[in-house]
Amino acid sequence: MTEAMPPVPVPVASRVLAQSGLTRVRGWIGLPAGVVLVLIVGSILSDKFLSVSNLTNVLISMSIVGLIVVGMTFVFISRGLADLSVPATVGLGGILVLGLQPSLGSLVAGIVGVLAAAVAGFINGGLIGWARVNPVIATLAVGTIVLGVAQAFVGGVIVYGTDTATQDFINSRILGGVPVIVLIFLSVAALGHILLSRTTIGRYTYAVGSNPAASEASAVPVKFTRAFAFLLTGALGGFAGVILGLSLQTARPTLGIGYEFDAITAVVVGGVSLLGGVGSIPRAMSGLLFVQLLTNIMVLQGVPSPVQGIAKGAMIAGAVALDVYLRRRGGTQ
Amino acid sequence: MIEVALALRMEKIGKAFPGVQALSEVDLEVGQGEVHAIVGENGAGKSTLMKILAGVYQPDAGSIHLNGVEVVLQSPLEAKRQGIRMVYQELNLVPDLSVSENIALGRIPKKRGLVDRARMDADARGVLSELQTKIVPSMIVGDLTVSQQQLVEIAKAYASEPKIIVLDEPTSSLSEHETQALFRVIRRMSSAGVSVIYISHRLREVIDIADTVTVIRDGRRIDTQSIDGVTVEKMISLMVGRQLDEVFPKKKVPIGDTILEVKNVSVPGRCEDVSFTVRAGEIVGLAGLVGAGRTEVAQAIFGLRRYSRGQVIVGGVSTHITRPRKGIKAGIAYVPEDRKTEGIIPSESIRNNISLAVLPSLQRAGFIERRKEKELAQQKAHELGVSPPLIERLANTLSGGNQQKVVLAKWLAAKPTVLILDEPTRGVDVGAKADIHTIIGELAAQGVGILMISSELPEILAVSDRIYVLHEGRVTEEIARSDASEERVMRAATGGGLS
Amino acid sequence: MNGALVTDLGFALVRYRVLVILAVTFSVASIWVPGFFSAGTLSLSLDRAATMGLLAVGLTVVLLAGQLDLSGGAILAVAGITAIGLQESMGQIPAAFVGVMVGVLAGGLNAFLVVVLRINSLVATLASMLFIRAVGHYITDSRPVSGIDPFFGLTVSRPIEGTITGRSLLFLVAIVVLHFWLTRTVSGRNMFAVGSNFVSATASGVRSRAYLAGSFVFSGAMAGIAGVIQSLSVNTGSPVFGESIVLTAIAAVVIGGTRLEGGRASAGGTLGGVLTLGALTTAMEFQNIPAYIQQIAAGLILLLLILLDQLVSRRNSRDVGLRSLVRRMKALSRPHQEKERKHISHEN
Repeated sequence: MTEAMPPVPVPVASRVLAQSGLTRVRGWIGLPAGVVLVLIVGSILSDKFLSVSNLTNVLISMSIVGLIVVGMTFVFISRGLADLSVPATVGLGGILVLGLQPSLGSLVAGIVGVLAAAVAGFINGGLIGWARVNPVIATLAVGTIVLGVAQAFVGGVIVYGTDTATQDFINSRILGGVPVIVLIFLSVAALGHILLSRTTIGRYTYAVGSNPAASEASAVPVKFTRAFAFLLTGALGGFAGVILGLSLQTARPTLGIGYEFDAITAVVVGGVSLLGGVGSIPRAMSGLLFVQLLTNIMVLQGVPSPVQGIAKGAMIAGAVALDVYLRRRGGTQ
Repeated sequence: MIEVALALRMEKIGKAFPGVQALSEVDLEVGQGEVHAIVGENGAGKSTLMKILAGVYQPDAGSIHLNGVEVVLQSPLEAKRQGIRMVYQELNLVPDLSVSENIALGRIPKKRGLVDRARMDADARGVLSELQTKIVPSMIVGDLTVSQQQLVEIAKAYASEPKIIVLDEPTSSLSEHETQALFRVIRRMSSAGVSVIYISHRLREVIDIADTVTVIRDGRRIDTQSIDGVTVEKMISLMVGRQLDEVFPKKKVPIGDTILEVKNVSVPGRCEDVSFTVRAGEIVGLAGLVGAGRTEVAQAIFGLRRYSRGQVIVGGVSTHITRPRKGIKAGIAYVPEDRKTEGIIPSESIRNNISLAVLPSLQRAGFIERRKEKELAQQKAHELGVSPPLIERLANTLSGGNQQKVVLAKWLAAKPTVLILDEPTRGVDVGAKADIHTIIGELAAQGVGILMISSELPEILAVSDRIYVLHEGRVTEEIARSDASEERVMRAATGGGLS
Repeated sequence: MNGALVTDLGFALVRYRVLVILAVTFSVASIWVPGFFSAGTLSLSLDRAATMGLLAVGLTVVLLAGQLDLSGGAILAVAGITAIGLQESMGQIPAAFVGVMVGVLAGGLNAFLVVVLRINSLVATLASMLFIRAVGHYITDSRPVSGIDPFFGLTVSRPIEGTITGRSLLFLVAIVVLHFWLTRTVSGRNMFAVGSNFVSATASGVRSRAYLAGSFVFSGAMAGIAGVIQSLSVNTGSPVFGESIVLTAIAAVVIGGTRLEGGRASAGGTLGGVLTLGALTTAMEFQNIPAYIQQIAAGLILLLLILLDQLVSRRNSRDVGLRSLVRRMKALSRPHQEKERKHISHEN
């Protein structure tokens, strides 16, 4: 569904200006400026803030959510609304990797975990892309089912792993102090960015999110593209669960609770629109960085976690309101 | 002498938007019961003027007088209160409610605080019978056809006893029957003292229904005349400011072998047993009333719609096209009716729009080859005269005619041997229309077989080598260019009898 | 086998699916739970579902308006906490009243976010849910709060005259009022219009934004009532109450035929959905089926029904789902009345 064009003959030059000039600049500067602002505020409030160790901690805590954010960006841009089955896929990944570790070893168990989560993502994709079920309902329902299955699999208890070697590796640092987890996250993010910006499927994602009818008429595989976003998110959720499980060597089915909200917050704050067709991985990551830095400041200041929850809620609202406001000012889409 | 106040007088209206003066010193006078047509190219300012009348915009200069009294229409609600009703092309109906609820919406009658169903239905029945339609008040609007919905929209405006009704392209989805019924209603409204402002690109209809016509060009009123003695050519020349054939003259082009053969194709409920052929270099027109099934046939050929029976043979090879990608592979391209919803992706660049249908051929291992894409887009934009030819600009910055060119460019990038055009010049101004006809002619000269669906008789007659006419889903006649005339086509389109 | 007969039967089954599902569920329940159809068991079943049912009534209106409200569970918790926590200072009845008011206020917050700030309702109520839940944790220090008189709440959960409980009665009354409002009042019909086509409704003079706001306030109020009743019945207010109730309530509403995209709703349908889920829960609990399996079952039923709905949807050509949702969101965020493009594009 396209945005209605203003039926007024505005000459091309001024329209372009309205789009590429002011709004684009605002779009470019807004978030990085925000991040810088947060860095400044944080360093003022606490001298521990700008230390390498603290910032590295922020990066580490960001990494798991970051994996989810990659998938969620695809979902948003393709106008898939949101994937609320993330807690289930993360939990599934964590449980399977540790549950199957004794028999298959960490690596193979991890792969199985990712694949199983991908199946869940595949089901989501089928329901949403082909059966045209509302994504919120579909992912909630599938998530509930998958979570139930995961719990049934372990009989509702915590799974413990024994592979300290892998655990140490994942929690270690290489290449002069870069945590492995962060490297994994950055690689995935980079791959995701390339996928979205340089490949056909990435282009299709934008097209389908922006105008599904025109995409269909232009021989774009709309159903597949929509489904792909959810397949990706499911697999990434499983992967995140696997990494998390291996890093902690314990997993319970509720491992992933809350990650979907954090991912949505990051994506929304990053300016990726719920309505689709607009946004990018770097922007989503800036949003994630912003939110994580803010959370870090609150933690350092000893803000109790409910209040953090309050702040997060306010942030989502603020970010979306700002996005809506800026779009209205921009005039055209 | 008693001077009867004009129902509407807009005096020296001016309106500017950032970067452009949309209207300057526009006068409009409409008497009570007058049917006043406003014509002009796209972008001339007609819709801005009407939006000011509707209370959506405020004029920067000038005044509005209703029945001699100056008014300020600060909002759509205010305009409604003053008795002004707008009927736009984009329908304002609620699909999940019934016809009578839609007609009454906003002023649903109450009895003891609750909905007075009986009265609501009776009111609706009354209005609908005046419009001579078979629409039943209890029907759910979402289940109606588009043309029925448009009639309900008009019924809704009429039912609220307006003083001025503005109809914006009201006949674009109406069949000939319904258009005549509409005209009867307009005449009835006008004799009841309701002023009707009629905006249309269909100049022949304007001559048929209007009492007066005003031509707007570049934000100015060029001329207002009583309809007597006004001809289509005269209106066009005033609209465009130059003598222009409404349609570009046809070139002689060598015609080759049959490249598309459609045999006995049936889409349940839409068309039945449709057969026709298109040869290389030929332009075949597909004429018919709205709802005759032309678009459905085209969609079926291209894979956007399933067909239950029949064969499609492209280049001698029988193919069953189930989705657009297969259609492209078979060498067919289909340019849809509605460019806004099915044609362009407005938030993407021109380049991305043009390459969209052929991305699989521009990729290597899934990655898009940027250089190739850019070259293609630039080449096509240049060939079609997209203005301005800056391919990184977003598609929504272009005018309608240029957007249509981008859509065409996208499909031409697929190098089709058969090009199906569905209403290619609808909602496009005269200048761009001529451009598009030229492009079509050039494509035919290159050996492309063209199937053109159009509801505009003059266009079909001028451009086609052969015309097939559809009536209620069936092909009723095949007419060669030399035998074609408006009457013959219209007769076949209405089933052979009087409409 | 006569093909047409099968198709007709199939169609009938789906159209009356609420009744069918209800019948099937009751049959299954009566097999699993001996004595299911006794007054006591039925009453208990209904009572268990009544809290969720109250939420479902509120959600029916929100969904009809084409919006989502995910914050019901959080509102339920905080309203309950308030009703219990203020008992000492205010007395039980005033405290309960304030609890309901909390629900109204929370609904007002949602209304503000969606209608004034024009934030998409999914995101807005997600945010408010986080926010309100956090508030609940904050004011109770994450610990449950006890009330002063455990017997007070029993009026709500004790069967009246040996039939249904007060809570169930309240739920049924709410359903009846909802039905009446939806089908017979002008404002009810206007709400259908707003949910079906926001822009058109506005153009016809309906104050659509006010209706949207009202739907959130109503949903918040219902959640508040549910929360107060819930907390009174167990004499406890806790910040973790209502954690998964919203999904179940949405499921009940959707099972009942209300469309997620707005424009179609039915009070009877919601009743059917609530009863179905209530019977299912009772049956499964009786069989000692663990909670997570119950969740699987609920999820599967929901999916199945939605898929069936897609199959039989009359409006195949109309936008189902994303498009209409997006259209509505865009309509809310447009600077002035831009008409929706329904069929032919046109430029003047």
